[in-house]
Amino acid sequence: MQMNATSTVTEAQPLVFAGFPASSWAFAIRVWLASLVALYASFWLQLESPSSAAITVAILALPTRGQGFEKAGYRLLATFIGVAASIAIAGTFSQTGGLLLAVFSMWIGLCVYAAGMLDGNRAYAAALCCITVALIAVQQIDSPLQVFPSGVARGAAIAIGILAVALVNDTLGAPDYHPVLAARLDALHHRVMDFAQDIAGGEASSAPIAAGMLRDIAALRPEITSLAAESSSGAARSAAARSAMVDLVSVLFLTRALAALPATYTAGRPADRDIGASGLIKMCRVWLRSEIIRKNADARSSLDALRAGTDPIRQWQAPLYRSRRIAAESGVRAAIYFALAAIFFVMAGWPNTEICLSLVGVIIGLGSTAPDPRGFTIQAVLAMPIACLLAGILKYFVFNGVSEFQLLAIGLAPIIIGLALLISLPNRTLSLFGRLTSVFTLVVLAPTNPQSYDPEVFLVACLFACLSSVLVFAAQLLLPSLSGDRRIRLLLGEARAELNGMNAGQIHHLAPEEAAFRDAARIEQIMTANDTSACHDQVVVEAMRCFDRAAILRRCSAELGRLAASPLADAARAAQDALTLRNGRAILAAAEALRTAAAESNRFANSALAVLVLASVAFGPSQPATGSSHRKQP
Amino acid sequence: MTHTYRELVLGGVLIAPIVTYAVTALLMFLLLRPLLHIVGFARLFSNASLAELSLYVAIFGLLGLFF
Repeated sequence: MQMNATSTVTEAQPLVFAGFPASSWAFAIRVWLASLVALYASFWLQLESPSSAAITVAILALPTRGQGFEKAGYRLLATFIGVAASIAIAGTFSQTGGLLLAVFSMWIGLCVYAAGMLDGNRAYAAALCCITVALIAVQQIDSPLQVFPSGVARGAAIAIGILAVALVNDTLGAPDYHPVLAARLDALHHRVMDFAQDIAGGEASSAPIAAGMLRDIAALRPEITSLAAESSSGAARSAAARSAMVDLVSVLFLTRALAALPATYTAGRPADRDIGASGLIKMCRVWLRSEIIRKNADARSSLDALRAGTDPIRQWQAPLYRSRRIAAESGVRAAIYFALAAIFFVMAGWPNTEICLSLVGVIIGLGSTAPDPRGFTIQAVLAMPIACLLAGILKYFVFNGVSEFQLLAIGLAPIIIGLALLISLPNRTLSLFGRLTSVFTLVVLAPTNPQSYDPEVFLVACLFACLSSVLVFAAQLLLPSLSGDRRIRLLLGEARAELNGMNAGQIHHLAPEEAAFRDAARIEQIMTANDTSACHDQVVVEAMRCFDRAAILRRCSAELGRLAASPLADAARAAQDALTLRNGRAILAAAEALRTAAAESNRFANSALAVLVLASVAFGPSQPATGSSHRKQP
Repeated sequence: MTHTYRELVLGGVLIAPIVTYAVTALLMFLLLRPLLHIVGFARLFSNASLAELSLYVAIFGLLGLFF
């Protein structure tokens, strides 16, 4: 789910009404108006499923234009893929009984795996591919010839919903996202620079604080991509924000490296060599300070480019880290959940259960984009009866047989506006609850022209809607979803394996700064995993140690690689061999040899020397097991 | 004389002309965006998003008028 931008937008707007800021009210009214436009256009065009247009509006209800547009684009694309998959599955496997259900399960597993490998709205698109199949092919399981017409009807309704959102957001001046993002990046920049100043002033580097900052920086990644959809200068702003994030991660790494650097190198070696090592450390400290200043200037310049809407001076990629193992485990679990629900319905032998099974697919798909699928299902279990109640009140107490559009508009207002206000809250749980209730209410209410008021149909729809969420919950009780502890163990294991397999001589397709951001994205996942263990701090410290070491090794690889074609190639190769041993003393000795060779051939190799010193400290015997430095700087 | 609209046929499926125009206009608009960025289109208008929507509608209308 998207981060809530409204809270930050409203900081500058003191106008508050009924406990909600004016921007939240404006957002809620925009959602209501877009729902009405979507419904009116769908009724006018006599679409088969006008409620899908209103549901699209509820799903695209995001406080800023860019976020909504990006999600809309992915929604359209995923619907297209989902409809194609529905036709292929229904065309190939209809009349095959259990095999058809097995293929549906496999498709759902595949989509959940893809969602696990992506982030933000891309993950939503992957989940929507499975939701579309659930809503089209599973619902038409007994009438495969209807798959194509229902797919076209759904596509048309979604297109109308997207157009309605675009029209209302553009004409009513929905806020842009880039000022919010610039403010958040600015705040992070200040935090990182305060941290750097504290370290330079001699304070200890705390791994949890640094990891918290890395988490906050990497968490912005999915939101930054939405800037590209915002305006013609969106792509430039997105590149600037990406570069600022990568530069901030670099500043944090350099600051931690500075904190880890000892005052002098005393490892029980001869005095003359200690003098040489101390000189190297001094040179390394100077280099680190100058690098921090340079990266800070880069970050500031990228932030200026973000505000101005111009291209940044240097563009970085911000690669995403995703664990294939975690994604695969989630995918297999999702396939099993769907198969269990299908087996339950086959054994029960009830009629019309395809709607319920399709809702099971919808909940599994949506849950795959949430950090905690179990928590999402619990929210769905709670939201479903409330949505049924709200839809029932609307249908039988407010409308009660009317068919005029004006009355529908007035009747929908309190519920859509109220739930949109809930969506705009900064509390993620309440915001998600509001979104789920809003979508489910429209699903159960299913506005059509003419409106159906058959109580039996309504009660069956409510029963199936509630049963679907309970079934997913029961399946997750039988086979628990991936726990936070296991996620962390897998992520840490992958970080260690990557570090151990890292070779100083190997060529990386990412720049060291970009690779450091990728590692920061892994730390973000470790930090946001729902960890219940008591040793969370040790986990964070270990993750940060892997981050530091991997970043240092990559820098060494890059700097020594530059020397490969120079007269210092032999010394650089010796340093690479020392790095392969992961021995601090050998690395320092190689650094000293490189310095001597550089002095003899009158070459400048300060960057390579500095990163080798960092490596010698990181892999040295004096490196504390906790990974955080508590030494005071001189 | 009445303007005749030709339907796009993809694998035997008829696509309504309005859908073809909408998609073509969107593609043209997306191709124009780098140019709009270079000329500073967003800075020319107080409500840049509405101006961009209007540009899309204009492209869509022109496609409908001439093709």
